[in-house]
Amino acid sequence: MMIVEFTVFSTFKFVAVKLSEVIKQQNNAAELFSVKASRARLFKEFKEVQREKVADPDIQLSCDDNNIFKWTALVKGPSETPFEGGIFQLAFAVPEQYPLQPPQVRFLTKIFHPNVHFKTGEICLDILKNAWSPAWTLQSVCRAIIALMAHPEPDSPLNCDSGNLLRSGDIRGYQSMARMYTRLAAMPKKG
Amino acid sequence: METEPEPGPGPVTEVEMEKDMRRTNIRESRTSEESNPCAICLGPIIQESFLDKCFHKFCYNCIMQWTKVVSGKHSLKLASVKCPLCKVENFSIIHGFVGSSFQQSYINQDFGYGFVLSKAHKYRLQCYYTEPGLLSDIFSVSSYWKSHKYLHPNRWLHTWLRREIQTLMQEEDVGIVVHHICGVIDSFQTKSKQQPKRNKPEAKSEEFRSLISDAARPFLAARTDLFVSEVELFLASGLNIEAYDAVYKQRLGWSSPGETSESTQGETSELRTVIPYLFTFDEDSDGTD
Repeated sequence: MMIVEFTVFSTFKFVAVKLSEVIKQQNNAAELFSVKASRARLFKEFKEVQREKVADPDIQLSCDDNNIFKWTALVKGPSETPFEGGIFQLAFAVPEQYPLQPPQVRFLTKIFHPNVHFKTGEICLDILKNAWSPAWTLQSVCRAIIALMAHPEPDSPLNCDSGNLLRSGDIRGYQSMARMYTRLAAMPKKG
Repeated sequence: METEPEPGPGPVTEVEMEKDMRRTNIRESRTSEESNPCAICLGPIIQESFLDKCFHKFCYNCIMQWTKVVSGKHSLKLASVKCPLCKVENFSIIHGFVGSSFQQSYINQDFGYGFVLSKAHKYRLQCYYTEPGLLSDIFSVSSYWKSHKYLHPNRWLHTWLRREIQTLMQEEDVGIVVHHICGVIDSFQTKSKQQPKRNKPEAKSEEFRSLISDAARPFLAARTDLFVSEVELFLASGLNIEAYDAVYKQRLGWSSPGETSESTQGETSELRTVIPYLFTFDEDSDGTD
């Protein structure tokens, strides 16, 4: 009896753990359908990315070989910012309810930016949280992250040191720190 | 948290904008079906549905699912949903076009405690899709006016009107509309009692119809004229709701085996093709005259 209960529970949990927080009134069948739909959509995005590789030289999105819910992206640091010349790696964990829920994105490359957690790489960006819309794609999320790199928002900092430098008006201090970390972490090692 | 200046997946800088335009051009060169996919599933649009303010279109399932997710995040009942593309607040989803008719799902009702039509409501809805005058040989509206029966109040009217308006508005909470129309009928009766038998029965009927019509039109739109006829017919029948329904259902071929009249056979085949939804907001729709 216990075992049966446990199996049923864990299967259900596996399918619906995240969804149940958000979609209260949906039944199991709808949830399963949603997984199928998100797979189909990711596949469409994958095909689009293959087609657009040349179109956006700043973003290189690729999907994990065996898991369409795991993606990585290489984005170029925008010019005229302390991140210029750096290549930053992003990791995407796509939920099974995508695009009804936003992907979880974090920097794998160390970056000194007020809205990125210095240790975990977590990104504070409204569109990845409550301002998410299913019309965003992984590609357009990358573009938004590039825009965030160029326009930091020091009033909602995840990296307080970085935020405080900007808020106190020490632009030079911020830029030199950010540039240093770009050189250390986001540029190919010389020699 | 407001880090992204441009809401929606729009271009961020001028350089990006150029790239976006290039991309759009590429898309336009493809087939028309692929060029305008649903922004949610990125596939061709299945069961085209529009938001009522911005008129952006999506698959029916996609936009319904998204609306459910959004309303699930809020503890209070939502009145509107933001368009995933342009963030404009929309109050309903327009879908299911058949000819000039369509359906409309309101965010505040269809995603909260939705009102599901009961069997009785569905039967009433069916009545609005049949030829007018179906029961004219049974109940005589003209004798109702001639014999001044309209001076006597009908004690089933309130309940009957409530079900009727629920059916036509596809909404549960219609108390205000029912109250309004009952008020109009009451004051018509009181006025008629004060100046008895002054007008011709035809003029009386005319006056009654135009009063009800004015009162109901803001809520029932294209269904108003049929509704007025139904009210008149119900009053003229002098029956209670159960008896009235029994007669009507028999004529529709819904029930009462053994009692089927000749006219029923002809009607039933016609009735099956009828769509059980309304043309409420379409003044030009068929079936109103």
